[in-house]
Amino acid sequence: MKGLMNYFPGDTFLHRMDPRSKIVFSLLVCIACFVTNNIYVLLGILVLDLLIGVFGGIFTQALRLLKGLLKIALFLFILQALVMRAGTPAFYIGKLAITWEGLKTALMGVLRLIDITLPLALMISLTRMSDLSNALVSRWHVPYKYAFAITSTIRFIPVFTSDLRSIMEAQTARGVEFDTKNFFKKASLIVPLCVPLLISSVKKIETAAMAVELRGFNLRTKDSSSKVSQFHLPDYLLLLLGIGLIVLAVLI
Amino acid sequence: MIRFEKVSFSYMEEGSTLQDLSFTIEKGSITALVGANGAGKTTLAKLIRGLIHPTAGRILFEEEDISKCKASTLAARMGYLFQNPDRQICKNTVGEELDFTLERTVQDPIERQRLKDDVLNALQLDPADEPFLLSRGERQKVALASALVHRPQLLILDEPTTGLDYKECTQIMEYVQALNRQGVTVVMVCHDMEIVLDYADHVIVMHSGKITADGKTRQILQDPTALTSSALLPPQIIGLAARLMADGYSGFEGICTVDAMATQIEAARKAVTA
Ligand SMILES: Nc1ncnc2c1ncn2[C@@H]1O[C@H](COP(=O)(O)OP(=O)(O)O)[C@@H](O)[C@H]1O
Ligand SMILES: [Mg+2]
Repeated sequence: MKGLMNYFPGDTFLHRMDPRSKIVFSLLVCIACFVTNNIYVLLGILVLDLLIGVFGGIFTQALRLLKGLLKIALFLFILQALVMRAGTPAFYIGKLAITWEGLKTALMGVLRLIDITLPLALMISLTRMSDLSNALVSRWHVPYKYAFAITSTIRFIPVFTSDLRSIMEAQTARGVEFDTKNFFKKASLIVPLCVPLLISSVKKIETAAMAVELRGFNLRTKDSSSKVSQFHLPDYLLLLLGIGLIVLAVLI
Repeated sequence: MIRFEKVSFSYMEEGSTLQDLSFTIEKGSITALVGANGAGKTTLAKLIRGLIHPTAGRILFEEEDISKCKASTLAARMGYLFQNPDRQICKNTVGEELDFTLERTVQDPIERQRLKDDVLNALQLDPADEPFLLSRGERQKVALASALVHRPQLLILDEPTTGLDYKECTQIMEYVQALNRQGVTVVMVCHDMEIVLDYADHVIVMHSGKITADGKTRQILQDPTALTSSALLPPQIIGLAARLMADGYSGFEGICTVDAMATQIEAARKAVTA
């Protein structure tokens, strides 16, 4: 099962770009999201995120990710709208007033969440982890061990997701109601699962650590990568776009 | 007990993992699902258990459409052993692990204790052991025990003997057979044709998402094309019998035990010396 943060192979210009520019661009988008207070900028960024999906050939994955995020977003939206008390009431739930300001803040918060998560997740789906760690090590002189730790962490996220899924399946087979439609009930059932998940993760990491050790992990130097990452025109353009977004966010 | 009616299944939107399967599993039988890795055996087993639902066709369990039931409510009537036992184990001791299943499936506390003791005894497990400190074979036994402790009507086993030594293998299979004689229907995915020959009375052969053969164990295992077309090897003794017959010796038809083979060779030797 291919899911969140897996590498989706391809040969689009986004795939071929320097891993560094993709990561920096994602960070620039994050900054722009925090700086802006304009809902149109946030909507524009959302469109841009989806365009990354289109150009990277992973539009269906982008939509699936968006769908997943919308579930969390809905929850946050309701929470935020209920909490914000100031402003003019839009409508009442019983005695509780929901204000226009509350709705707007909630919408902005939700858009921010989505806008921040999407680009990084999508860019990671378009980048081979080994290319990223090579670029970090050879260009930015990040010590190899740290680069390896960062990239393996990202690499393990989909593994853990699929582990969690199969553990839930196993529990359903034994009569635990994971097939319930009730979101809160399901969430409360997931908590006790953390134990088996943690145990299997630690075991897996131990084995992985031993395996890389046996394959000469400590012999690696920063000069030993076979692929050279290099900024080209598209990389500069992407970074320019990122900076442009921040400028836009500051100005309007 | 289980009936598949033109069932297809796929994990993705496009492509299909299983195509148009129709077959029945009789009550009280032991059915072996065999086929190369990736043939779709695990997928089929999960469909029977109701963990996933067909994209076309329907599956009936005692004449009841499985997609209409919640998988968790079927736990009392179906037991499932996963291919990887570590996915299944979730408690700190073997005893708690068994209780986890019993709490959800058996009401009477005295009955629970009786079932638990029975299984611990038969598989020689210590209820105080910590599952994750046990060996691979022992963990497999714990997982199996927790899948069948409540005596479900249908027991689905995904590769119960893979990775076990000979003694563990026979211990597990003898117990499964004993339960079967008490009325538990068994479906098991198995790569070991010797075990299939010894324990299963029915075999379903799968190849790239399709059923290529379905019938009585001896009939399937003695049919050379049924197995080889799905990249499987027949049990050694059946292979030997086929080889002797191909070399022109007669009287080896249908031989599939060492004893029968020894008797027949002795008879053939006598015939030659006479
Ligand atoms: N969760 C899943 N998501 C997508 N594809 C899967 C999944 N599980 C299995 N498959 C695919 O379905 C096919 C059949 O798998 P499986 O039923 O596990 O085979 P078997 O148990 O016979 O080895 C394989 O090609 C496998 O890659
Ligand atoms: Mg399998």
